[in-house]
Amino acid sequence: MRSLLVLLLVSLSACVTVRPEDKEFLADPSMTFGADGETQAAEEHVLTNREGSFGAGGVSGGGCGCN
Amino acid sequence: MNRLLALSVVFVALAASAGAQVGVSTVTTYYRERGGPLENQVVTPSVRIRGDIRDVAQVRAGWEADVVSGASVAVVDNPGLTPDVITSATRYDDLRNVASAGFTLRSEFASLSADYSYGNESDYRSHGFRLGAATELFERNTRFEISYGRGFDQVCNLAQPRAQEAVDRQRLPNSDGCFGGSPDRESLDVDIHTFQGGWTQAWTPVLVTQLTFTGQVLSGYQGNPYRSVWLGRSAAQEFHPENRQRWAGGLATRVYVRPLKGAIQLFGRLYRDTWDVTSVTAELAWEQTLVESLRVRVRGRYYSQSAAAFFSDDYSRFPRGQYFTGDRELSSMDSWVIGGSVRYALPPPLEERTLEELSFVLKFDHLRYDFRDYTYAGAAVPNDTGIALTFGLDAQF
Repeated sequence: MRSLLVLLLVSLSACVTVRPEDKEFLADPSMTFGADGETQAAEEHVLTNREGSFGAGGVSGGGCGCN
Repeated sequence: MNRLLALSVVFVALAASAGAQVGVSTVTTYYRERGGPLENQVVTPSVRIRGDIRDVAQVRAGWEADVVSGASVAVVDNPGLTPDVITSATRYDDLRNVASAGFTLRSEFASLSADYSYGNESDYRSHGFRLGAATELFERNTRFEISYGRGFDQVCNLAQPRAQEAVDRQRLPNSDGCFGGSPDRESLDVDIHTFQGGWTQAWTPVLVTQLTFTGQVLSGYQGNPYRSVWLGRSAAQEFHPENRQRWAGGLATRVYVRPLKGAIQLFGRLYRDTWDVTSVTAELAWEQTLVESLRVRVRGRYYSQSAAAFFSDDYSRFPRGQYFTGDRELSSMDSWVIGGSVRYALPPPLEERTLEELSFVLKFDHLRYDFRDYTYAGAAVPNDTGIALTFGLDAQF
């Protein structure tokens, strides 16, 4: 558990290396989760009504976070 | 419903008059499942309006409907109808309306949101509340998001004595009299708690991941009141456990490929619940910017699930304890989706124009299902392929 926590903190601190000026590609819509939120929700609606599973389909955000 | 919608529109209009940036979007999906007499189609139009007030708040309202027409087999596995069980399916039409409203409050690195929705159809009603919070850390490379949703649903059923054995219960013949005080109808509660958490992480200038977890607890009536199952000597309304806990974890990864100006998108999900349904989902997509305003995306998705512990394709010979179901979603199945989308955004106009952004999206998906154990009294499921067509428009004023 402790090693997992250390790994998590090291991983997170490493992320600071992606500076705002290096986020050109992360800002691309293809790299942003939930960028197509409403059409993605419609797609989820079709699938979850025909399958026995539910959830973990993703949340919004990610990508650039430049704003 | 109408009052809620009107109130929401007035609310957003007030936000607009207060100098807010207003956005309107509409998405319509047409789904058609081919299969002769069991052909089904669903049209799902939706409209959403939002007002953003100086990056500190957003108010929103929406409406969505499902217009369903199709056919269903009322008594699953009834040998008396074999081999004509499918052609004797009964036609049905249904309409579901959902109105929703919500708001988000934002600070520089965090946001809080709340939403409410009300759903109404002839045999089902729902009230849903959702609270969410998100924060961004480490120069916005890390984002955590949590939410809790609470659903208060009601389903209409045929009024039957509480002490009656499940094997003697009869199915609901139609929705006449539902929620109208009719003595031969009753409403049964379904309580839903949904928890979700997400961690989005930018690892390098071209790599981002998202880990998502969902937990859901349902209690109450969870069967289809219209469906009966043949048990050997007679048919009875399908009988599901009243409690179900579900968990799902998903990992999404996106890698930007600079020379191609596109991104590989990978997604995997594992799911398990207390009815013993387990599933795995894998998706691979490629999204490409062709020119500045035009993006295309192609994708393939594979899904596989195991059957619920109490599922049987023939309860007369292979019963599974006290519960019985005719629901094909609780049988083992595989499914494949192949599809693509095109998104076009009009180039940004001059600042003094009222319309700031306008984008269109067109999506197409082809779905195929393989039900390994589910049959209609030995007859294979005929409606095992479908198409989904989605058109969306988003305008920002």
